[in-house]
Amino acid sequence: MREILKSLLLWVALVGVLALALGHGKPPNVLGLFIVSGLAVGSLYALGGIGLVVLYRATGVLNLAAGAIGAVAVMVAWQLVQWGIFAPLAWVMGLALGPMLATAYGRTLASRMAWREPVVKAVASLGFAFVLLGLVSFLWSDDPRKFELPTDKAAVMLLGLRVTVTRLVVVGATIALVIGISAALDSTRIGLQMRALANNRRLSSLIGIPITRVETLAWALSGLIFGFTGLMFGDLVRLDPSVITFLVIPCVAAAIAGRLQSLPDVLMGGLAMGVIESLLTLSDTFKDVRPIAPYVIAALVLLLMNRGRHLTFSGED
Amino acid sequence: MRISRSGLAGLTLAVIAVLVLPMAAGGQWLKIFTSTTAFALAAMGAGFMYARLGMVSLAQVGLMGLGGWITLRLNHAYGFPFEVNLLIGAVITSVLGMVLALPALRMRGLYLALITLMVAGGLEVIFTAHQFPNGGAGFWGVGTSFSATMRRPALGQSDESFLRYALVIAVLGFLLIDAHLRSRPGRAWALIRRSEAAALASGVNVTLYKTWAFGLSGLLAGLGGGILAASLGLLDAATFRASESVLLFALVVVGGARFWLGAVITAVLYRVAPGLLNNWGVDADLALVFFGAALLHAVITAPEGIAGQIFGLFKMEAANDRA
Repeated sequence: MREILKSLLLWVALVGVLALALGHGKPPNVLGLFIVSGLAVGSLYALGGIGLVVLYRATGVLNLAAGAIGAVAVMVAWQLVQWGIFAPLAWVMGLALGPMLATAYGRTLASRMAWREPVVKAVASLGFAFVLLGLVSFLWSDDPRKFELPTDKAAVMLLGLRVTVTRLVVVGATIALVIGISAALDSTRIGLQMRALANNRRLSSLIGIPITRVETLAWALSGLIFGFTGLMFGDLVRLDPSVITFLVIPCVAAAIAGRLQSLPDVLMGGLAMGVIESLLTLSDTFKDVRPIAPYVIAALVLLLMNRGRHLTFSGED
Repeated sequence: MRISRSGLAGLTLAVIAVLVLPMAAGGQWLKIFTSTTAFALAAMGAGFMYARLGMVSLAQVGLMGLGGWITLRLNHAYGFPFEVNLLIGAVITSVLGMVLALPALRMRGLYLALITLMVAGGLEVIFTAHQFPNGGAGFWGVGTSFSATMRRPALGQSDESFLRYALVIAVLGFLLIDAHLRSRPGRAWALIRRSEAAALASGVNVTLYKTWAFGLSGLLAGLGGGILAASLGLLDAATFRASESVLLFALVVVGGARFWLGAVITAVLYRVAPGLLNNWGVDADLALVFFGAALLHAVITAPEGIAGQIFGLFKMEAANDRA
């Protein structure tokens, strides 16, 4: 808990300093506007980052196909709605594809690489991403499309900005996921097993932890999160399979903010990235390059993480 | 100096390519082959880093963009001949590659790959926001209503001769890598790959040689970018997206990271295959499916890639060629 408060303080201070520096002399409601819209973008990064970290901790796979899985989910959901299927059913069916695809990859291909280095597993998942992206782009040619949810119509006013309920759902779901998963990791049996697996896979299997079952669960859960991220991104930002596929890059940045292990830090880091990206709009110099914020922050986190560390010779990454 | 059988095959192929390719290819294909050559250079850089040191660079196409940007910028700002612009561009890219490497040196494997991915993402944002210099005013040098010409080398004024020129530079780049592998850096890399602790214990400066590898890889990417800039006259930000860097790396693994032929296959798959498929009426998106499946296949069962399988077929590999 103490750690969480410490990093919360750090992120808030970072955002606060930047807000003061960039928003100097701007009316406070303008500032509020940018912060709220930044939180909405940041929660998408955080959401994807959480999926990545949940999977990485349990299986050691950084799934770079996360975005592609999301793209499949949202395109299928969109298509089903176009075919006139009852909309909520279509969303559920699209969403269900997430865990199915992730688990299929995890059980068949990823399990054959369990003993390989983490970077090789990450590179292999790129292969899965290209297969999915190729299929999706083949099936749906590049036409402008729109994926809509009824929650887009309803809105509330927050700090002078009209916020759609969809955005609130995303932020709420992200926070709920972090709290829920953290609690489950702390206090359920499967959570304990996941933590054991994250700590040392070989020892875990020696003491009789059902590795396959725990890993399958992690794949399914992360797949569900990726599917949800895809659906939300398709609704809020753009319904374009290749854009959604490479959304994984800022999501990786959010995951790095949590050092690939701490879910609360992923959440805070992801939100801070979104807010800072949005605040940069206020700066004339950085206005055009504002999407760079997540990458710069992630690079800084990596640098800080490695401060004072010397060459590592052995062991795992 | 001993020339291996695969090296001999490579040099023969290069001579044939320089003599025949510009004559055989016409129209659009000249430019496609020139850019294939540029990407082969970049692929060689990423490939040798992956095969010799296990370092994954997911920013190689982004670095090409950087090299191209600098070459274009110099071309429009000063009256230097093309060679000078190309070299300065490549050297600055190389230095930036090394700077990029410094924080990554203390990281291993996955984190190193991730920091290059962040760099690729950052470069994409910068290129998209500022585009490439076309002779306009100011630091970014982008004018909206016109486009100044990109000077080409004296020996490569026409498209045919420029393809020849690019091929020769690519061969020089490949030979540069080979020279490294045959001398002190190559031995140091081999030792580092085996065990960093052992390398350090036997007096190898691990930091220096890892940085050197990054620099060399960046140099090749910068050269490739400069060649691409001169071939097309103008660069487009869409060419250097992070996704392209990622795809190029995937194809490096598919092609066979350890061999010169692997880099050539990578570039052909990257640049020629989609166009060919289009000509044959096959959707180019399906190429992506094939690339993905090939990457999975290469990672799981064929770590030597296509080039390794071809060389294995002809038994061209010397036994001591293994890293």
